[in-house]
Amino acid sequence: MHRLDGQRVTDFLAAKFASPTRSTRLTVVLGRWLGIAFTVCFLTGLFSHGLQNPPAWMIFPTRPVWIYQLSQGIHVTAGIASIPLLLAKLWSVYPELLSWPPVRSVVHGLERASIALFVAASLLQVTTGLINTYKWYPWPFPFRETHYWLAWVIWGSLLLHIAVKLPAISAHWRRRQAAASASNSPASGASDAAAGESGAGVPAPGRWSRRAMLTAVTAATGAVVVTTAGQSFAWLAPLNLFAPRKMGTGPQGVPVNRTAADANVADAAMSPAWALLVRSGPVTRSFTLEQLRAMPQHSHELPIACVEGWSQLASWRGVRVRDLLAAVDAPPGSDLHVTSLEPEGAYRTMSMPAAYARDEQTLVALELNGAALDLDHGYPARIIAPGRPGVLQTKWLQSVEVL
Amino acid sequence: MSAGKSRRNIRLVLGAAGVAVLGYGLVGLPTELGPAQLLGLLTWMAVAVLLHDGVLVPLSTAAGFGLTRAGSRLQPASAAVLRGALLTGSLVTLLTALLLKAQSVARKSTVLEADYAVNLACLWAVLAVVSAVAILLLQRRGRRAGSRRR
Repeated sequence: MHRLDGQRVTDFLAAKFASPTRSTRLTVVLGRWLGIAFTVCFLTGLFSHGLQNPPAWMIFPTRPVWIYQLSQGIHVTAGIASIPLLLAKLWSVYPELLSWPPVRSVVHGLERASIALFVAASLLQVTTGLINTYKWYPWPFPFRETHYWLAWVIWGSLLLHIAVKLPAISAHWRRRQAAASASNSPASGASDAAAGESGAGVPAPGRWSRRAMLTAVTAATGAVVVTTAGQSFAWLAPLNLFAPRKMGTGPQGVPVNRTAADANVADAAMSPAWALLVRSGPVTRSFTLEQLRAMPQHSHELPIACVEGWSQLASWRGVRVRDLLAAVDAPPGSDLHVTSLEPEGAYRTMSMPAAYARDEQTLVALELNGAALDLDHGYPARIIAPGRPGVLQTKWLQSVEVL
Repeated sequence: MSAGKSRRNIRLVLGAAGVAVLGYGLVGLPTELGPAQLLGLLTWMAVAVLLHDGVLVPLSTAAGFGLTRAGSRLQPASAAVLRGALLTGSLVTLLTALLLKAQSVARKSTVLEADYAVNLACLWAVLAVVSAVAILLLQRRGRRAGSRRR
C-alpha cells in the first residue's frame, strides 16, 4: 500500500487552485479595506455596547440626536460590506491552506492556529450578525454575548496578524514597491513575480488582472451596501432592495420590533385605570392619561434607531421627563429606573442615566406623527430620548422612579 | 535606532497588544456562555471553515475555470466585466437566499416585508443588460483597435 504523500497531494491541489490573479499585493489591498471595515465595526459596536451596558466612566452623548442612528447604521453597513471583502481576502490567500508540511515549527503552528481562529471567528461574526438582523437566530449560543466577546477576539487577532505580516504588508503597501519586491525576490513565488509584472495591467489569457478583480470586488461591495443601507440612511431608501427593514412601514409609518401581542401587554395598556407612577424617595404621584395630556406638551423630531441597524425619523409629542421629575420635586439631573407594563422580557425595565433625564428633548411620548400612539408603539405612553438604542426607548410605561 | 530595530519594536508592541485583546475576548467568552453553548459555538466555527474552504472556494474555482475558457475568446476588459457581473450577482443571490429562508421562518412583524425574489430578478436583469452592453461596446472597440494594429 502506498503511503499518502502529503506534499504531493497539496502540490496537486495547489496547482488546481492556482490563479495568476493572486499576489501579495492583492491580499494587502483587500486586507487594508477589510481591516478598516472590521475596525469601524469594532468601535461602533463598543459604543453601542457601552450605551446598553454602561461602564462607570461611560459618556452619554445626546447631540446630535441622530448619533446612535448614524453609529449603528454604520456598524451594520460596514458589517455587510465586510462580507464580500472577507470572502475576497480569504480567496486571495487560499493556497496558504495547502502549504506542506502543515506545521513547520512551534511558532508556525501557533501562527496557523491564530489564523484559524481569526478566520473562523470572522466568518461566524459576519454571518450571525447579518442573519440576526433578519430576526432569525437558529443557534444554540446567545447572539449579543457571543458577538461582543468574539469582537475582541477578532480585533485582537487582526492586530496580531498585522504584527506577524508587517514585512509583507509594508513591502506591498505601494503598487510600485510591490512590483519591485515581487520581481526582485525569487522566494516570493511564481505567482507574485507574474503579478508584479502583469497583475495590474495585462492579465493571462481568459483571466482578469488584479486591478480588474479589485474593481469588481469594489462594485460587488458597493452593490450590497447601496441595496441594504437604505434601512439606516433615508437618502438610500429608494434603493433598499435587500435589507430586512424598510423605512415608512408599520403602524403610523414607523417599523415595530416588539408588538403588543409579543409583549403580552394589550390588556394592561388598554385599561381605563392606567396611570403613570412617578416616584422620588417618599414622594409618589400618579398621572392619568388625561392629566398627562393637560401638562405642557412638547414636540420633537427624533429617530428611533435599532441595534439591528434600521432607523426611522419620526415626530413625537408628549411631556418632558424633566417636567415630571419637577412634579415630584426631584432634581432634573437624576438617574431613573423605568418600568414597562410588559410582564416579562429583557427590556421590561430600563435605566436612564441623568444625561437623558435632564435633556429637554427626552419625552414621555403620547403621540407619534400627529396621532395618539398606536398600541404597538407603546400606547398609552412611552419613552423617547435622543441618541439611544431603540430597545431602551421603553414602551407601555408603568412607572418612572428616581434613583 | 535603526529602521529595522524600530520596525521590530512596532511588531512586538502590536503583537503583544493583539494577544492581550484576543485573550480578553477568549477569557470573557466562557463567563457568559455555558459549556453547551461554547461547544455549539466551536462546532459552528469549525463547520463554517469547512464549508468555506471545502465548498465555497472549490465551487468558485470551478466557476473560474469555465470563465477562463469563455473569457479567452473575449477582450480582457470584456472578460473582466463578465466576471465582475457574475461576482456581484452571486453575492447578492447568497444574501437573498438567506433573506428568503428567514422570511419563511421569522415571526410576522414589520420585518422582511419586501419581495426579495422579485428584487433579485430585477438585479440580475440590470446586471445582464449593463454587462451585455458594456461587453458589446468593449468588443467592438477592441476589434477596431486590433484591425488598426494589423
